Amino acid sequence: MSRNAARQADRWVMPFFKRYWKALALALFLGVATFGFASGLMVTSGFLISAAAEMPGSILMVHLPTLFVRIFGIGKPILQYLERLTSHDWVLRMTSSLRLKLYETLEGDAVFFRRSHRTGDILGLLAEDIGHLQNLYLRAVFPTVVAWLVYALAVIAVGLFSPWFALAFALVLGVEVFLVPLVSMLANRARVERRKAMKNELYGELTDNVLGASDWIFARRGAEYLSRHQAAEQAMRDENARLDRFARRRDLASTAVFGIAAACLLVWAGGYFGGAPGGASNWIAAFVLGFFPLIDAFAPLPAAATEGCVYRDSVRRLNELPQAAEQSEPAPDVEAPLAIAIDHVAFSYPGSARVVLDDVSLTIPQGQKVAVLGRSGSGKSTLASLIRGDLAPTSGSVTLNGVPASRFGDDMAKHIGVIQQQTYLFNMTLRENLRIGNPAATDDEVWEVLAHVGLADLARRLPEGLDTLVDEAGMRFSGGERHRIALARVLLQDTPVILLDEPTVGLDPVTERALLDTFVENAQGKTLIMITHHLQGVSAMDRVVFVENGKLEMEGAPAELERTSERYRRLLAFDRGIAAG
Amino acid sequence: MIDKAIFALPGIKRILGLLAAFAVLQAFAVLGQAWSLSTAVTNLWLGDTVADQALLVAVFFACFVGRQGVLYVQSGMLDRYAYEQANALRQALLGKVFTTNARLVQTHGTGSVTAAVLEGADQVETYFKLILPKITGIALIPTILLVAAFALDWVSGLIMFVAFPFIILYMVIMGHTAKEKASRQHRTFEIMSNHFIDTLRGIDTLKLFGMSKRYGKSIYEVSERFREATMRTLKVANLSSLVLDTFATLSVAAVAFMLGFRLIDGSVTLFPALALLVIAPEYFRPIREFAADYHASLDGKNALASIRALVDAPDDPPDELPLPVWNESAHLALVGVGFSYPEFKALEGVSLAAEGFQKIGIIGASGSGKSTLVNLLGGFASPDEGSVSIDGVQTGGFRQDAWQSQVVYIPQDPYIFHATLRDNIVFYRPDATDAEVARAVEVVGLDELMSELPKGLDTRIGEGARALSGGQAQRIALARAFLDRGRKVLLFDEPTAHLDIETEMELKERMLPLMEGRLVFFATHRLHWMHDMDSIVCMEDGRVAEQGTLAELRASGGAFAHLAAQLEGGAR
Repeated sequence: MSRNAARQADRWVMPFFKRYWKALALALFLGVATFGFASGLMVTSGFLISAAAEMPGSILMVHLPTLFVRIFGIGKPILQYLERLTSHDWVLRMTSSLRLKLYETLEGDAVFFRRSHRTGDILGLLAEDIGHLQNLYLRAVFPTVVAWLVYALAVIAVGLFSPWFALAFALVLGVEVFLVPLVSMLANRARVERRKAMKNELYGELTDNVLGASDWIFARRGAEYLSRHQAAEQAMRDENARLDRFARRRDLASTAVFGIAAACLLVWAGGYFGGAPGGASNWIAAFVLGFFPLIDAFAPLPAAATEGCVYRDSVRRLNELPQAAEQSEPAPDVEAPLAIAIDHVAFSYPGSARVVLDDVSLTIPQGQKVAVLGRSGSGKSTLASLIRGDLAPTSGSVTLNGVPASRFGDDMAKHIGVIQQQTYLFNMTLRENLRIGNPAATDDEVWEVLAHVGLADLARRLPEGLDTLVDEAGMRFSGGERHRIALARVLLQDTPVILLDEPTVGLDPVTERALLDTFVENAQGKTLIMITHHLQGVSAMDRVVFVENGKLEMEGAPAELERTSERYRRLLAFDRGIAAG
Repeated sequence: MIDKAIFALPGIKRILGLLAAFAVLQAFAVLGQAWSLSTAVTNLWLGDTVADQALLVAVFFACFVGRQGVLYVQSGMLDRYAYEQANALRQALLGKVFTTNARLVQTHGTGSVTAAVLEGADQVETYFKLILPKITGIALIPTILLVAAFALDWVSGLIMFVAFPFIILYMVIMGHTAKEKASRQHRTFEIMSNHFIDTLRGIDTLKLFGMSKRYGKSIYEVSERFREATMRTLKVANLSSLVLDTFATLSVAAVAFMLGFRLIDGSVTLFPALALLVIAPEYFRPIREFAADYHASLDGKNALASIRALVDAPDDPPDELPLPVWNESAHLALVGVGFSYPEFKALEGVSLAAEGFQKIGIIGASGSGKSTLVNLLGGFASPDEGSVSIDGVQTGGFRQDAWQSQVVYIPQDPYIFHATLRDNIVFYRPDATDAEVARAVEVVGLDELMSELPKGLDTRIGEGARALSGGQAQRIALARAFLDRGRKVLLFDEPTAHLDIETEMELKERMLPLMEGRLVFFATHRLHWMHDMDSIVCMEDGRVAEQGTLAELRASGGAFAHLAAQLEGGAR
């Protein structure tokens, strides 16, 4: 990628600098002024005692230096305080926006998100990239710019007295301001990137394995994982130790440069101002002492440059993320009754030759209850994604009242409510979990729905009722209870169409039947599309559709199929249990 | 700021001793700098030539660089030590999660545990690096410099001496407030870390409810709340360094001031005055650095505390009773076993017996306690009451190392690692041969999946790589069980609940042979399995309602017959 293209593609750094440039400019000004005042205090103090040592007879003779000693002495801490607050606030504001941007970027593809990203990696991306960006603005970009400004001003200040010495001084300090950081960056870039890659890897790996920790324990391989983790950790440590060693040596070299600069300043000031006692000689102490506070401005530069590499890497990765899709057109406006029409639909996943659905046609009028049956992998879930508009058909059309389903975007949630195979419970209160589909729902409505799905008793038994926090990953609730929570969510959402994507998996048949009855009762007047892999509840449907190998195989009312299809009868018998032997 | 736990670290005495020596060396290097620089400047001020100062300049340079040399050695030593200590904590925590206390993850959250292992341990390492040299430096360096200051000019020495206790007192007061704020901030940080991963995990749910955009706002708001909390902490924390800085700079200014007066009346000469001006900022430097790193150290201290809390959580290691390998004639018995979750009682008075290679079906409605019973049998939890005996050995439960090593557990939602299909299959038998793996793949019906995968067995699956259907995950778990023939006890917790009916039919034929020669506990609500069980335990409301063979239970017309009637009706 050319430089120019890289700059154009940058959506994560410059736009944010621009958005917050005023706060940045203020912070930079305060940063430079802090060092100016720190140096000023020592300059005036040095001048003051030198001038006083001439024994001028009256304190009034040193009135001006004493005044400045006071101004600098009081001003410096205040400036520093303001600078810290301004820069932190600036950075944290940017961080909030960066987090939001990252979320929005990922949100566009949310339904198929798990396929393309590992949770651990995203956590790594977040913790590392965003977190590092934050640190790097504070620890790399900001101090570097401040140091450059201080450097320029210091050289100019010396240049007012002697341009030639200013040049020499600029060269010596330039070693520290430009050369050492450059060398640091070149020497460490690869290492820093390697370390970061290792850390991301470790993060992803650890998250994955912590999630599966009970399997490690049960397989009695816990110790094995530990030694594996330790080996990865050790590799990262080795890289870190090399970086630390480099940093120590570099600091020693930097100190030598500062020592040389201080010695040069002493020699120059001695030659330039010295020669006779007092008078101009008062400036010798002023210049020499005034230099030392500036070291604090230059010292962080090389470390900042090294960290800059991490920053570059993070920015590159963030820029590589797909751009958050903007909702280009307003969502189409359709009103219930909703007729769903699937017309000669074929579908293959991009880049895959396998035809998942092949010439499927089906129309579902408002209020019809349809069971879509099929084995796992038969394409029935893809059919559900097509109806919800998360996927667009390769050929043919899926429409709601004549509008292609894929055009609805997020607004589809107003028309179709979905109950997924696995219900995700957020680590929030039960109430918040239930109201996801309808944050405005009142407690009365929540309790009513809970009663419908048969969870009211359980909710009342919880230590804090609706305010009880669900445990991580919803482990507090059994599979069946989680499905009921999902149903409650969808009922609160109140959409004309309810799509059940194998919703009752894991429930015992008694509960399942009760639950399916509840679905049917509560879906009065609503379209109900039930994707399922067994026959439970099918008899309550208006219509059964069999999907096999991407095609519609059997179709008809349940009673009709039981009369006409041998295969249907066989499945029914197996499903029923002991009677079938 | 200084956690007392530090003084209990191994080898800490030696480290602190060395650090004290380094501090003394640094103080003398500062004095050398002050002496050489002030002498040179004084000489120049008096009109000496620059050339005559060469030796003094050289001494100054040597002291200036020498001090950094001391720091070079010191930080090398600290890097090693801090890493060793932080790593020991990390290992202890991981050891807990992966061997003795898996519940830690559930109670604290995956995000918290991973953050503690990676970020937290790093923070602790930084904390040790920051805090250890300060423990020694903060007292020794100023003391030595103060003695020198008194020797040079007692008035200046007095100013410096008086300023110091004020600074310390102020720091104690401010530190107290900042500490509370910082620990609150640390909690905010942890909540935020969990909030973000939680939101990301549920992002598809949010999308389906059309709420994902709104949650973006919540992410922003949580982040902004974090910013506000941080800024509040910083305002206070930095206020202390503001006051501290003011004290320090004003003290330097006061020293310069007093020296100015006394230089004018001739009671002091230029050399000591200059030397004091060099020494004064260095005198305050350790305590200012202490304050500057205060925030970072607090983070580290908090991280140390949270890791320690995790590490020190009561261990629940499996017992190490010697149990024989389960065999044809082995027997186990549960007598009056009960178990309660914090909210409710899940099992009560459960008694059952099993022997040899029996197949025991556990059937019941959801909430009847069958999953809890399987959890107890697997040793994931220990009974609160009642007793268990395995082959005559009386134990408190099945949390036995020797028991768990004989058990294969197949849950409702087996966890699929982000690894290759092969690694997932051989999880319990990493040494399985290709032929064994191929056989397992065939037996559980994974061949279709395998043929679709671009690299077959070597394709990475699991979250983020290639998502598997519930049925496929289940088959992998079955394959794991199939491979590990040495484990003679099979625990199933509704293994076919996720499978479509035709696959279930298919799989059943293949699973039954796996159960031969093993003790099987099979919790399910699918009645057709009961034909293949030697004994059936019918659960109802946390109790064993009935136990017997299928024929016996059908004939008795009790709880099982009642349940069966309901279940059979269910298909209609």
